[in-house]
Amino acid sequence: PSMSLSITPAQTAAWRRQIFEQLNERSKREMENFKHYEQAVEQSVWVKKGTM
Amino acid sequence: MADDKDVLRDVWFGRIPTCFTLHQDEITEREAEPFYLLLPRVSYLTLVTDKVKKHFLKVMKPEDVEEMWFEYEGTPLKWHYPIGVLFDLHASNTALPWSVTVHFKNFPERDLLHCPSNSVIEAHFMSSIKEADALKHKGQVINDMQKKDHKQLWMGLQNDKFDQFWAMNRKLMEYPMEEGGFRYIPFRIYQTTSDRPFIQKLFRSVSSEGQPHTLGDLLKEMFPAAICQDDEPKRYQVLIHGIEPMLETPIQWLSEHLSHPDNFLHVSIIPSPSD
Repeated sequence: PSMSLSITPAQTAAWRRQIFEQLNERSKREMENFKHYEQAVEQSVWVKKGTM
Repeated sequence: MADDKDVLRDVWFGRIPTCFTLHQDEITEREAEPFYLLLPRVSYLTLVTDKVKKHFLKVMKPEDVEEMWFEYEGTPLKWHYPIGVLFDLHASNTALPWSVTVHFKNFPERDLLHCPSNSVIEAHFMSSIKEADALKHKGQVINDMQKKDHKQLWMGLQNDKFDQFWAMNRKLMEYPMEEGGFRYIPFRIYQTTSDRPFIQKLFRSVSSEGQPHTLGDLLKEMFPAAICQDDEPKRYQVLIHGIEPMLETPIQWLSEHLSHPDNFLHVSIIPSPSD
């Protein structure tokens, strides 16, 4: 079998990577210093994401 | 590398740290302390502020209390817009926590819809989902669902249950492979400086030549001033869930991953902060 190159145009990778990065930055900016605040809705099981 | 599915979680669990203070004109029996809360970006103000109401009612006489409403720096906050949209539109680039003023009188009839109960929010939410599905699938997916499925979408949002909501919502995100995307993309573009509530027009996910449309294509058609030329300073920020996706981002992908639970892609266009 031939080696399958995953053909991801550089541009596609860039926009996707940029969204992931910005969402991570957003979490830091909006949530990191405010973890002691009460949640408006309590029922949720808080799923904490590991750092990638 | 993160998975696209992780984006759905990041979107759902986005929170705005908020400080609620009672307006100075409200009559209290003793001093009202501010109240701090993490608000879900994808929910609605009147749906998640029971604790705020309870907190301030403790220092007020029942006869001084009318319908609760919220204001940010003189702007009444529309509960029927998602919280994240209100924040991005009016308060992004300001220091956190978001400082929101609470009122119990002088309801601004011209600016806000009344919200006497959660069933009003539910009706608004479900009608948005139906409108979105009319654009995406001629309404066929939402109409094929049962009453209990509709309820599952609403209860998922109301109780902040990601899995419950997405177990049903994924059906609203499907499309025939050969078409390459939804029929039309449900989107709304908001501006701070406009009497128009928002821009909403028909826009296809794929061009007539079969090319996937991008965020840039959408803006070129709906709000060209938001696209900055190479040689000029950036005039506007285009925000979705507090981030600025690249103009090359395919609009279909954005619709599937960065739509609010009401199935609309809410885009806020704000003037760039001047340094």
